[in-house]
Amino acid sequence: MNKNTCIACGQEILDKDTIGINKKLISDNVKNYYCITCLADYLGCEVQDIYDKIEEFKEEGCKLFV
Amino acid sequence: MKRLVYADNAATTRMSRRAIDAMTSFLSEEYANPSQPYSFARTSKKALLESRQVIADCIGAYPEEIYFTSCGTESDNWVIHEATQRKFDIVTSSIEHHAILHPCACAETTGLKVTYLPVDSKGLVDVYELDKSIVHTRTLVSIMMANNEIGTVQPIKELCKIAHSKGAIFHTDAVQAIGHIPVNVHDLGVDLLSASAHKFNGPKGIGFLYVKNGLNISPFIYGGGQEKGLRSGTENVASIVGMATALKENFENADKNTNQLRILEKILIDSLRSSGLDFIRNGTNNIPGNISISFKDADGEMMLHRLDLMGISVSTGSACDSQNTQISHVIKAISLDSRYAKGTIRISLGVNNSEDDVFYITSALNKIICE
Repeated sequence: MNKNTCIACGQEILDKDTIGINKKLISDNVKNYYCITCLADYLGCEVQDIYDKIEEFKEEGCKLFV
Repeated sequence: MKRLVYADNAATTRMSRRAIDAMTSFLSEEYANPSQPYSFARTSKKALLESRQVIADCIGAYPEEIYFTSCGTESDNWVIHEATQRKFDIVTSSIEHHAILHPCACAETTGLKVTYLPVDSKGLVDVYELDKSIVHTRTLVSIMMANNEIGTVQPIKELCKIAHSKGAIFHTDAVQAIGHIPVNVHDLGVDLLSASAHKFNGPKGIGFLYVKNGLNISPFIYGGGQEKGLRSGTENVASIVGMATALKENFENADKNTNQLRILEKILIDSLRSSGLDFIRNGTNNIPGNISISFKDADGEMMLHRLDLMGISVSTGSACDSQNTQISHVIKAISLDSRYAKGTIRISLGVNNSEDDVFYITSALNKIICE
């Protein structure tokens, strides 16, 4: 099994939410992921903004998160 | 604090200060039911009368031709309901708002014939197709004045003329147009017209339906007999006053607002072009400020969320429907190249936007698309 690690800090990425939000905010085809903290840093927003987005996608029933 | 650039004015607009001020006394001191005969109700009754006159003046109608409703959707539903009651054929376009399309789908289930006219790549209804599709006089034609997604303004006068030459009734959903482009119902010749206040800096939850004198339509809501018995329910006086005030303000500032929005549009398009981005601007003869852009090989939904994280509010012409990307019915109808269709966003600028806002948007788009 391939191990996903954050392309910025090297942290291991295990959860569906982090992979899902990378696909939503960077590209559907993305193969390398950021952890939530590095994703927020890369996008120039707050970490909480990313968590808020994840919650909204879940509420919409997006299959990437459930 | 994160900067907020609101560029989704086709969805709703910020209320005008003048409209808020005009409404306030009717929410607090002047709360009487205008249907009551006592003197306390005189002010609210007078406000209704004046608001109806103001709205009529702004669209070239007679005051008795204006019926207050709760929104544009209600006005649209009323019109399709009327066609259903009369057992009329309905001819509409494939790019109408769902406030028309869904009632039409419902009408079809009752056995009525509904024809959905195609549009060209710019979103224009084919005049010849309309002519061909009206086969008898018992027909309602409903074509929107300005499209909400791509901004295209239809040649309503011409389409209306064709409908009338076949003896049909003509309705236009003018929700995106009223308060933004000059509209004179008598000059256009339309029989029915829908409008919504929150699209022209008025309050939400209020709209109107113009019904040409002599066109006897059936009641839509039964009850206490308000709106000449056609649309019962105690009038929302404060919102009606707010709607009339906002429309009058937009009407008075029409030229200034249009010029400002056209300048902002040009800056936005020029700025994107000079960045070398590959995009198509959708629509033609657009409503001022409505800019639908499709970027090649981009993802509209991703752009929307990325812009949102930068404090910019826009809409998209495609959205993920839990698993797949769904292209909107309007973008599908204009047969946009699939490489561009998925990358569609709508930036709808309003009177509160500045040049600085536009540069912030283009700079954000550059960053997102060119990364």
